[in-house]
Amino acid sequence: MSYTKVFSLAVLAFSAALTVARGADFKVVANPSVGAASISADELKGVFLMTKTSLKDAGHVEPVLEKGGPVHESFVKEYLGKTDAGLQNYYRSLAFTGKGSIPKEVASDADVVSTVAKTKGAIGYIGAETEAAGVKVLEVK
Amino acid sequence: MKPQRLWLAAAVFAAPCLLLAQFDFSVDGRTVQVHSFASQGFALSNVNNYLTMDTSNGSFALTDFGFNASTAITDKFRVGAQLYDYNLGRLGKYVPELDWAYGDYRFTDWLGIRGGKVKTVQGLSHDVQDMEFLNTWALMPQSVYPLDTRGDAIAHIGGDLYGTVAVKKLGSFSYTLFGGLRPNDPNGGYLYGVDTMSHVPDPKGGFMYITGQTKDVTYYGGPVYGADLRWTTPVKGLLLGASYMVQDITTTGHYTKPIVVAYKLTTVKDNATNFYAEYLFGNLRFAGEYRSEPKIVQLNQPSGVLVQGFQDSRSGYVSLSYRFFKWLELGTYQSRYVDNWPVNHGDPRNHIFDQTITARFDINRNVDFKLEEHFIDGAAIDGVLDHGFYAAPNPNGLAPNMHMLVARIGYHM
Repeated sequence: MSYTKVFSLAVLAFSAALTVARGADFKVVANPSVGAASISADELKGVFLMTKTSLKDAGHVEPVLEKGGPVHESFVKEYLGKTDAGLQNYYRSLAFTGKGSIPKEVASDADVVSTVAKTKGAIGYIGAETEAAGVKVLEVK
Repeated sequence: MKPQRLWLAAAVFAAPCLLLAQFDFSVDGRTVQVHSFASQGFALSNVNNYLTMDTSNGSFALTDFGFNASTAITDKFRVGAQLYDYNLGRLGKYVPELDWAYGDYRFTDWLGIRGGKVKTVQGLSHDVQDMEFLNTWALMPQSVYPLDTRGDAIAHIGGDLYGTVAVKKLGSFSYTLFGGLRPNDPNGGYLYGVDTMSHVPDPKGGFMYITGQTKDVTYYGGPVYGADLRWTTPVKGLLLGASYMVQDITTTGHYTKPIVVAYKLTTVKDNATNFYAEYLFGNLRFAGEYRSEPKIVQLNQPSGVLVQGFQDSRSGYVSLSYRFFKWLELGTYQSRYVDNWPVNHGDPRNHIFDQTITARFDINRNVDFKLEEHFIDGAAIDGVLDHGFYAAPNPNGLAPNMHMLVARIGYHM
């Protein structure tokens, strides 16, 4: 096999590895104490990267995350611009320098709903088809 | 390597694991988070002893561990502290130290204040350089993040003003203004270097450092202040930043030979400027950093004569890493340090160039293992007291080129 063919195959393999599959659909949910009906993408990013700890008309807010899964992967990629590993490193860098805490992480959509429902100021994300009982759905602008 | 040392290293590594020290508990309705970490390394070089370890014979003297606790007292006020302990060749010596401890009040997203012993934000990774589990590398690029002087530079006793400002369509800007005092690490590389090396005329011309027990230097410290600004650009995954730092360091002790007289090294000028960039694209990460640090110092010789020294060091690195699987990340970096920029860069006595390749294996979410090969050109022995190459651990001199294998296992919780 010629060098050119090997190189082309390597480039194709690399490109395929970089191609990310289409993610799962999700919706953003909040504790009823969060007064706003909508949130901007920048605000959402700020809340989950913990550079934004309050929202207008909402007071103190805090993120609730899922521990992995397609909904989590999609949300992290689309709104935070990170991989799961990158996000975990980001939270650890806050915790191990004292500049923040690792936010609540729960196992499933149902756990996100129940945790957000009982935590004042909490904001999370769940699959688009998951019932959002006891929480409010925020429109992302 | 003595078996006792292996057992000690194993015990040191295992102790925090046994504590299973990430747990949360509540006090008065507020969650207290406790985290811990530990790492154990092994380094083997073909020649030279690096970072004061006996790397030419293989050395396990690369150990660190620590734990921290923090909590939010209110929605705006946090407190926390971290204890840290390390051993690096002839440095550290397992003497525990308070790594950081501070209170942090965030008035609003764009204005917060923290005070106490605070990790210094300078450059892309300065404040997290020692958290091996956050980085791809077993050893960070030593040109910008020298492990042997970590204790002197990692934090300041003082405070920060910080915040993040989002600007529509321009991304966001995070700033940190800091000021305080540099802590003294009596077991760090800077004092070890000053203590054990003497600056003498080189028969080939110029000056060089040799082993010399002519002084007992015990203190390093002084005021430091600066700023960091990082821009999360609208280009997805692209971060750009710049830092500036001014130090006024005084080093004191006394000469022991030929007469006992006070030793004092003062800073006339020491301004460091960093520029850095990071780009994330899926599992690909590119990072680069450039640092310039012109420095003028004044030293009293045993005779009482004051002499000035000038150093214009430049350092930087470019790195590339890619995570192929959750358990495997591969990366490489080219790290460059030039001790005195106006002098011949190609002279191995004036530079350290390090080409590194790394494989990081994430055994699970809390344990990682790294294998890393360094190809190091130059030892900059002409003009530095640190950056890994010291005269005392290399009594037969330093070879201009070396390669070194580093293996490191880390745990965090």
